[in-house]
Amino acid sequence: MKLETPTAPHQHNRRSVRQVMAWVLLALLPAVVAHVFYFGTGVLIQGVLATAFAMFFEYLSLKLRKQPIKLFLTDLSAPVTAWLLVLCISPIAPWYVSVIGMFFAIVIAKHLYGGLGHNIFNPAMVGFAVILIAFPQSMSLWLAPWGISQPVLSFSDALTWIFFGGGQWIDAMTAATPLSALQIGQQQGMTYSEIITQPIFGNFGGLGWEWVANWLFLGGLLLLFKKIITWHVPVTLLLVACLFSYPFYAFDPDSFLSPMQHVFSGGLMMAAFFIATDPTSGCSSKKGKMIFAAGVAILTVLIRQFGAFPDGVAFAVLLMNMSAPLIDQLTIPKPYGQQGKGSVSEP
Amino acid sequence: MSFHGGLKLAHHKESLMGEEVVEAPIPEHLYLSLRMNQGDEARAVVSVGEYVLKGQCIAVADDDMVLPVHAPTSGTVTDISVQPSAAPDAAMATVITITTDGLDRTIEPMVVNIRSHQDIIELMQKSGIAGMGGAGFPAYMKYKQPVKTLIINGAECEPYIACDEALMLAKPEAVISGTDWMRQACQATTAVIAIEDTSTGIQAALEAAIQKSSMNHILVKKIPSIYPIGGEKQVIEVLTGQQVPEGQTPLVLGLLMQNVATAVALADVIESGLPLLNRFITITGDAVSRPVNVNAMIGTPLSDLLSLTEVNYTAIKRLVIGGPMMGFAMPNDAIGIDKTSNCLLAMKEELLPSGNMPCIRCGDCVQVCPQELLPQQLFWYISGESNDLEKARDHYVFDCIECGACAYVCPSHIKLVDYYRYAKAELRYLDFKKQHSDHAKQRFDARENRLERIKAERMAKRHDKTAKLKDKQVAKKEISDALARIKKIKDGQSP
Ligand code: SF4
Ligand code: SF4
Repeated sequence: MKLETPTAPHQHNRRSVRQVMAWVLLALLPAVVAHVFYFGTGVLIQGVLATAFAMFFEYLSLKLRKQPIKLFLTDLSAPVTAWLLVLCISPIAPWYVSVIGMFFAIVIAKHLYGGLGHNIFNPAMVGFAVILIAFPQSMSLWLAPWGISQPVLSFSDALTWIFFGGGQWIDAMTAATPLSALQIGQQQGMTYSEIITQPIFGNFGGLGWEWVANWLFLGGLLLLFKKIITWHVPVTLLLVACLFSYPFYAFDPDSFLSPMQHVFSGGLMMAAFFIATDPTSGCSSKKGKMIFAAGVAILTVLIRQFGAFPDGVAFAVLLMNMSAPLIDQLTIPKPYGQQGKGSVSEP
Repeated sequence: MSFHGGLKLAHHKESLMGEEVVEAPIPEHLYLSLRMNQGDEARAVVSVGEYVLKGQCIAVADDDMVLPVHAPTSGTVTDISVQPSAAPDAAMATVITITTDGLDRTIEPMVVNIRSHQDIIELMQKSGIAGMGGAGFPAYMKYKQPVKTLIINGAECEPYIACDEALMLAKPEAVISGTDWMRQACQATTAVIAIEDTSTGIQAALEAAIQKSSMNHILVKKIPSIYPIGGEKQVIEVLTGQQVPEGQTPLVLGLLMQNVATAVALADVIESGLPLLNRFITITGDAVSRPVNVNAMIGTPLSDLLSLTEVNYTAIKRLVIGGPMMGFAMPNDAIGIDKTSNCLLAMKEELLPSGNMPCIRCGDCVQVCPQELLPQQLFWYISGESNDLEKARDHYVFDCIECGACAYVCPSHIKLVDYYRYAKAELRYLDFKKQHSDHAKQRFDARENRLERIKAERMAKRHDKTAKLKDKQVAKKEISDALARIKKIKDGQSP
């Protein structure tokens, strides 16, 4: 009898990278549904488009880097990046926005740095940041959410819009995002309380956006439950965002956003559960994760209040991505037996 | 109390609960390995062709790290050679083969006479009692100083393994008396027997035995069944809330821990006057349709053990000694069990392919590491691109207990533990080399210094002389003195 002698362990929980990615996709589903409900089917078209380009760029990069194509193409990491970006951009953004976004996400941010698990920057946020800088117009032009402009944009309208531009209904159907409305309003000298009486604001965030955020939260809970992420990043990020923005708001409620607005508009909820939790570009230890999340929260609030861009989440994440290796070096946790949890007794 | 990380693993031993322990018959051959954990071996004192009796010492210990080996039954020594073994590190070892005669003829039992704790410790050494839970170091070596509390570990190290539970159910009295002998040996006032909270009936059985022998200083405590709860450090944290400080043994906390099988071995030795010859072992795995606990002689071949139950032979892909998380796969079934072998796993399930996917830094490994390490960072520094072993040291690779929890959850199926083992071995080697070259360098420097000094002294002397010669008066005198000396020599007089 001759037998194989592999090394221990001899069993495995049988979870694979693909399954982890599939859970992330599933966790994004509620938010996508909410998106469709408030903003029409545009997001689905964008999703298909972005996924297709993501896969294409992934294939190309793997081929050029001479990596096993089938193995990596089916790991579902590219679709995750695609959907994360899609949920950040406007549902009626022109098609080339996805292309450019995916190119920078997959080719530059991911594969140029060595592919899956080696990227320093979060690919979706790199794509998003490039788009924000390159197409500020398209990014702040959103469909008005359901409840302001009836009816919801039909599928074929959305399709024409994405591929051929908006035509004459552009003004009737679109609206600025809440965050850019705030910025524009403030530039026009309106106070915060005047601005938020505009119909695009809902109960605690932007109308529609607040519900997308709620459903992202739900998806995030699923990831927590499946132990794909830990509580450290989302809890710290949301808490610090509230605590840090509150003094500003309390000091001058007419010029500063309320903590609620911060949390429920723009990409903060997304960042809390899906972006800053990205382990590849984030920190490793619990303490590191919390510092990382706090950094994202503080930078986001600062950029939103004082920066040139309406939403600072992408830049905040990228800045923290850069700091992550350093934070990791400074937060190597003390292992068992070196935490002072043993009092030496006399014999 | 709990410890960091850990895994909730399927136990795979439900069908074993409450089953009778099978007494293994005397096998035709016994393969007895002489190897201890770190490569030291006992020295064989029998030769091929020699007839040996049950209990006879066939290999002696030449140093403290080694235990003597005894013949578990009577028969003839038919081979002494180096072979694959089930020694604690599963390395090649000198193996003595005994072809048994089935007569089980026994030596005259020792007269056990215990007057002091030292007698118990010596008895453990003489009768070859190893720590039977895993690493297999000589049990007596732990008794270096008196402690407050003795902990008897009755938590199984890994899933599938059920031999310690079977032992506690089958011989609760021996567990208690063995525990008390050990308590006396380490001069502790109390002893705690830790069992898993999923076990049924064990607590009652042990407490009944405590009552009967009125040993109320022995307590039974349940601990959560989270892998690796069988680990010494984890049991201690759960029971006491304290951690064994880095580089120390539990002695500094006033604790001493032994496996429950080791305690029973001591009780048996004291009762029978014979050395350690048998142990309980679980035969299980997905290729075994009816798992059993067996009481078998040390050295019983794996093939004989498998024949004791219903096994799907053709399906067997791997035979693992120990559990599924830390056990060693054996190259064939003609290997005898060791004193430390607590489980034989016959597995048919294919292992997942590994080495294809990179680390995605998901952090799952961090969640489960009981030592609170960052396994993914360790992997990053040890593997490929960076290969920075010193960084791995900074990330505490030496604190890794190789429990395999990280590799169990890794979605990229990376053989993480292999990397840690490699890094530890390599770092130890580098340290060794550095130490030695430091030593050599010191010697070299010392010699250089000496030569330098001598040279400097000579120069100084010569300098002195030449300086003196510069003074004309002195020079004249020096020269005339020298000439006079030469003249004297020429005249045949000694200077
Ligand atoms: S579990 Fe595996 S893939 Fe995930 S971080 Fe750890 S080593 Fe990397
Ligand atoms: S094998 Fe080492 S690194 Fe992995 S979980 Fe166990 S102690 Fe931690």
